[in-house]
Amino acid sequence: MADASAALLAEGLAKTYRSGLGRRPVRALKDLDLVVPRGTVFGLLGPNGAGKTTLVKLALGIAFPTGGRATVLGRPAGDVGARARIGYLPENHRYPAHLTGQQVLDFFGRLSEIREPMRSRRVETLLRRVRMDEWRATPVRRYSKGMMQRLGMAQAILNEPDLLILDEPTDGVDPVGRQELRDLLLEQKARGATIFLNSHLLSEVERVCDRVAILKEGRLVREGHVDDLTRPESVWEIEVRAADPARLRPIPAAVPGLTLPPARPGEPGEAGAAVFELRGDVAGLNRALDALRSAGVMISAVRPRRTSLEDVFVKVVRDGEAA
Amino acid sequence: MRIRALVLDTCRELLYRKTLLFYFGIVTLTHLMLLLALETDAANGLITSVRVFGMEGHASRGGFQLDDRGAPGGLMIEAATLVRGIEVTVAWILYPMGILLSVFATASLVPRMLEKGSIDLLLSKPVSRPALFAARWLGGLAVAAANLIYLVGGVGIILGFKVGIWNRGFLLSGLMMAAYFGALLAYLALIGILLRSTTIGVMMTAAIYVVSLIVRFPHANADWPMLITSRIARLMAQTVVEVLYHALPRTYEFGQIVTSLIMERPVASWAPVGGTLLAGGAALLAAVLLFRRTDF
Repeated sequence: MADASAALLAEGLAKTYRSGLGRRPVRALKDLDLVVPRGTVFGLLGPNGAGKTTLVKLALGIAFPTGGRATVLGRPAGDVGARARIGYLPENHRYPAHLTGQQVLDFFGRLSEIREPMRSRRVETLLRRVRMDEWRATPVRRYSKGMMQRLGMAQAILNEPDLLILDEPTDGVDPVGRQELRDLLLEQKARGATIFLNSHLLSEVERVCDRVAILKEGRLVREGHVDDLTRPESVWEIEVRAADPARLRPIPAAVPGLTLPPARPGEPGEAGAAVFELRGDVAGLNRALDALRSAGVMISAVRPRRTSLEDVFVKVVRDGEAA
Repeated sequence: MRIRALVLDTCRELLYRKTLLFYFGIVTLTHLMLLLALETDAANGLITSVRVFGMEGHASRGGFQLDDRGAPGGLMIEAATLVRGIEVTVAWILYPMGILLSVFATASLVPRMLEKGSIDLLLSKPVSRPALFAARWLGGLAVAAANLIYLVGGVGIILGFKVGIWNRGFLLSGLMMAAYFGALLAYLALIGILLRSTTIGVMMTAAIYVVSLIVRFPHANADWPMLITSRIARLMAQTVVEVLYHALPRTYEFGQIVTSLIMERPVASWAPVGGTLLAGGAALLAAVLLFRRTDF
């Protein structure tokens, strides 16, 4: 399975935490196989305790595996050389309280071996980019959660990493800030970086990620392209208007797969408006449209019904639906 | 660059906490007192008159006295004796205080570094774990040593200029205390990685200090085990005493060595210094090895 082009590769990766006498060992990861291709934006999803943070920690060498192996950018996980090419924003990150925003970036720039004058230049640019230049001289202990996240993002991309690992990057950030962070991620992707995103905000993940993996109880239960996972179910929604609603009711009987579900409670109903559902392929759709038009019904919209990532997630996690 | 950044950041963190700035203030006050309050007249290596805060000092049968009546006759005290006396007094008061405040200030260095959200970030950077840990220890030692050197350097220079006596042993005694603190800090770091608690770190370091003073006496007295009648109990007690004596810093002997150095007397044995440095080195090594394999 070794894949030199993978930004992150896990083969049979396992982690069992043992803490204290008499306590039951906790199997955080169980025999995990995962490939994160380079240049992608990869989302890692899972309920609390699924093993997402453990996987990140193993990849960075913050914790050690009890089975299997992991490589990052072609090197063993935790390798110092590999870490020089990684940017990381942990969840609930803490910066030294005695430092200002600018000093934080300078400190982590030094740790990443970014030499002067490059370091000062990047610090300047990034402080402006994340709109923190006004607060550069303020100690980080006075920063709000959103400001900490913005500074954290700047810290994570300071070394222009090949692999950017982000744990809940939009946590505590307002919608405008979220949009800015999303733009920043897309810039990093355009630069060629691989982005590994660990987030509970499924709508965010769906918007920016190319691929996602869902972990449950330490196991990989679903993995693939976002488009594949949220692919249309061959169900179409046909929105229509008819002067006489009574003319709509007999139409489904004439077209196989066409139904007229009752209006959902709370949905504002327009007089004469209805939404048909059609299960079938494109040919079936055209047949249904012909039937509707010949019945004198005005078609106002036709759209394929997609499954949202949230639907997939809930199905997989709650109902245990496997790949 | 990375190690230097870590050491400097540790120093900056300690300065931010202000505990050692308090010590710096006390040392500065001591310097000012010596600078402003002490006035001497020396001739041929002998002090002819001493004034402290304007009070005249004179030799008497009972020792050395200060009063405001003026010297009754020619005061004849060796300048070197006066300087050593002041230096020993400074050492016995300000060295333990410096060590104590340094322990308070540095006790949180390791537990804070290991906090969630902080350690993750540090370990994600291209710095090896041993280097990260050693830099933290080095930063703590550097700030404490700088304070001790400021103390002995300042006092030594002021007395040197005022009295004309330059005591190299005093400077060396400051370095000795810095080495002693280095060993103590290694234990503090080991406790920090094991228990991740600042409070327990301070308490256990205080215990190490006290126990190291206590075990020295049964170690030095070869006859004490005879008080225990049971052979097994005697052997166990002896073993415990010897292990503790050799594993902990030799606090009592360091006190003796420091005094000897200041008084320019020959040091009876340097073995306690070597033993302390070895024990401290072993504690630091154990802490680094533990840190290297710990999951965070």
